[in-house]
Amino acid sequence: MSAATVSERAEIRAMARELASRELAPRAAALDAGGQDVLAECWRLLVQLGLDRVLLDERHGGAGLGVADLLATIEELAVGDGGIAMCVLLCNAALATLTDEQLAVVPSGARWALVPGAAGTEVRFSDGQLDGSLACALGAHGADGLVILLDGPQPAAWAIPRDAPGLKLQRDTDQMGLCAAPAASIEMAVIRSAQVTGEVDGSVGTASAPALLRAGTAAIAHGIARRAHGMALEYAHARRQGGVAIIEHDAVSDMLAAMAVRLACWPQIAADPAGLALDGERALAVKIAASDAAVASTTDAVQVFGGTGYMVETGIEKLMRDAKYCQLFPEPNWVAHDELMRSARAGRAA
Amino acid sequence: MSTMIPERSLTEQFPRLAQNGGLDVRELERLRARARRFAHEHMRPRALQIDRRTGEDPSSFDWDLVRAGAEAGMLGLLIPKPAGGAGGMSTQVAVVMEELCAACPGIALIFGAHALGISPLLLGGPSQWDGVLAELVASEYDSEPQLMACAITEPEAGTDVEDPDLLRHARITSHARRVPGGFRLSGTKRFISNGSVARWITLLMPTDPRRPAESWTCFLLDTRSEGFAVSRVEHKMGQRACPAAELTFDEVFVPAERIVSREGDGAAATTIVLACSRPPVAAIATGIARGAYERVLGWLQEDPAARGLAERQHVQLALAGMEEEIHLARQLYMDAATELDHTALGGVMSHPGVRALGHVPAGIRSRAPVRGWLASERARDATIALLHRSTSERAVTRSLALSSMAKARGGDVAMRVTGAALELVGLRAGPIRAELEKLWRDAKLTQIYEGTNQLNRLEVYRGLCHAETMNCLPPLRRVHPDPAAQAHTNGDGNAHLQPDPPQRANVDGNGGRS
Repeated sequence: MSAATVSERAEIRAMARELASRELAPRAAALDAGGQDVLAECWRLLVQLGLDRVLLDERHGGAGLGVADLLATIEELAVGDGGIAMCVLLCNAALATLTDEQLAVVPSGARWALVPGAAGTEVRFSDGQLDGSLACALGAHGADGLVILLDGPQPAAWAIPRDAPGLKLQRDTDQMGLCAAPAASIEMAVIRSAQVTGEVDGSVGTASAPALLRAGTAAIAHGIARRAHGMALEYAHARRQGGVAIIEHDAVSDMLAAMAVRLACWPQIAADPAGLALDGERALAVKIAASDAAVASTTDAVQVFGGTGYMVETGIEKLMRDAKYCQLFPEPNWVAHDELMRSARAGRAA
Repeated sequence: MSTMIPERSLTEQFPRLAQNGGLDVRELERLRARARRFAHEHMRPRALQIDRRTGEDPSSFDWDLVRAGAEAGMLGLLIPKPAGGAGGMSTQVAVVMEELCAACPGIALIFGAHALGISPLLLGGPSQWDGVLAELVASEYDSEPQLMACAITEPEAGTDVEDPDLLRHARITSHARRVPGGFRLSGTKRFISNGSVARWITLLMPTDPRRPAESWTCFLLDTRSEGFAVSRVEHKMGQRACPAAELTFDEVFVPAERIVSREGDGAAATTIVLACSRPPVAAIATGIARGAYERVLGWLQEDPAARGLAERQHVQLALAGMEEEIHLARQLYMDAATELDHTALGGVMSHPGVRALGHVPAGIRSRAPVRGWLASERARDATIALLHRSTSERAVTRSLALSSMAKARGGDVAMRVTGAALELVGLRAGPIRAELEKLWRDAKLTQIYEGTNQLNRLEVYRGLCHAETMNCLPPLRRVHPDPAAQAHTNGDGNAHLQPDPPQRANVDGNGGRS
């Protein structure tokens, strides 16, 4: 795979932006409500543009683009709907771990999901069999196949088609955020057909899958924060209080300024996006910073809207819920902090 | 599940309670225990199920819970004893709210919004005891409890209707038009908690749309009145068990005697009501934070997936931070509530004249001559005079500032603690995650309702940093704001308020010397 030129990247980004504003944003409420039909409808549109296989080369029906292009695309999609952007991230990351042979049998338009394992999850691998369970796997419900990353001293990635014997998925009906990437609890009982992927450490080309997930989640968080800022700014100009538009009140403009500051820091935080997915530690740090910023900005955005923002129909509280899930996925930020420090300690010891 | 029930008694934690005249601390302890029991037995087991159901159908409502709440004494907290209620004030409501919200803030809001609906009636004094308040109490005994709501917010005016200065420029579209025998109410009220299920609503509208602040008036509305309609029930992010409704008024007739206090007293009444209601809202926020904290403690102790986590310093520090924040939030709301009850409004209810009237049997108070006098303009003037004698505008302003501080801080604490709790357990935590997500969604509203936190902090500036004194008591005597009265105006914002005649400055709360 190769990175696009600057002009190609701008074109891809513009295409994703257009799709987000024209097709995704108007469907965001329906996606948030968990509608499977609307998800399928959106997925068809994404597939038509090749956004399900951004990282794959043309042999496998992909666009042959690089990680930076994928991240830019995901950010734009997240402005329309964070959950859809997460579906795109999970599918691209999953497919990119598969071998040529495995990819050859994945039908066009299939939606796969990468499921990160986490410390403490009850998944075991022995004698060619997978056993155990995983809760709240984003994007797993309704997916055509899963790639499960196993954590631990010997990381491994396992590809499991949806119809694999012994695989049971149950939709997580309490999912609060990123609902267009429907979560499921996964029960695996001796799946003999689980196939190890080409790269046992879950590599995505030259990138690592966990780092890609974190960098992608950061891009989604940033897209959500952009949307929140845009909506809050527009509302603050339109809504009047005390005889003036509320943007004239310092109490409101202070919040909008803080959102703008957080957004302005993004290019520095996410500089060299292609390198981001190669550098696990930096991906962790960027994911922490971007998701914390998104939670702060979306919470402020709801505050700018006041009581109106607390109502589902305005769509602003959804951004807050979506942003919160970016803090919790692939792991809660405090665990990400912990991993960062573990790396730092290991580096010092070495 | 482990619970973080404070080990110290209320008296040990808040010595001022014992000094608060008229407040029986042992009764307060019993009330808290009763609320905790009700929350544990009836609320928490149903909280998630009700949240899911109302998420799908916002208009669904659980009357069984209201009936259970009535039996547990959660509805009559604010109703004066002479009317058959518990005679509580801000402190009692706040203590109960913390307990209920630790279980489910949405269900708790049903009882909180009911208390909010009642609170303007308290300013009406004894004239209100034998009317709707007594009917509310009677309805509890009939197992068909009636609920109240308070309607202030409008589609184009939210926070600004809760501040007397902003109210002057607010885009008020409602109007109470004077007609023979009363008023015709028109307009829309929005986001009204309990609005779709309330039997009675205290609502505020201007009688002169050109001067909303000066003519802001509180009415007691019978929701069976012709022209009243629930136009929609909102789909909310959280606190869903309590419906938030949009209400429309199409020339709804309200008789003149259903004006609460007096025409034009609404802005001052709103200020006092907010001073009373913000400590309970701060307690709601504190309860939400406590609920999240308790759930995390329970998860750490009981869930095998959390084994060993409590040994981590990160987790210990996070828990200590939660404990610290909750403790401070509780101190703030109790300070605000006791300040209000002790120095601002407590004097009214404990005034000898009011207490004496309370000893008069309801049967006698209900007789036409007595009732007629209690509802008279002179009696209403006397009630306001008593308010002036019992407190001062500075005391109420200060109290409002303390209440606002507690509310703003509490809302922030609720968001921080629920957010941190959710982050500690993560997405993989199982059923506890859904409960914490709900509390996090519930928490956000505490930064918004009863005035946004920003407005509340501006009240803190005015009342404490700048030591202002707001015009937050109704004037001692009020002239009808009709066109003829314009001749007496001086052209400023308080145009139709007449200065008190010297001979009325000594009006006694009993009305005897007026």
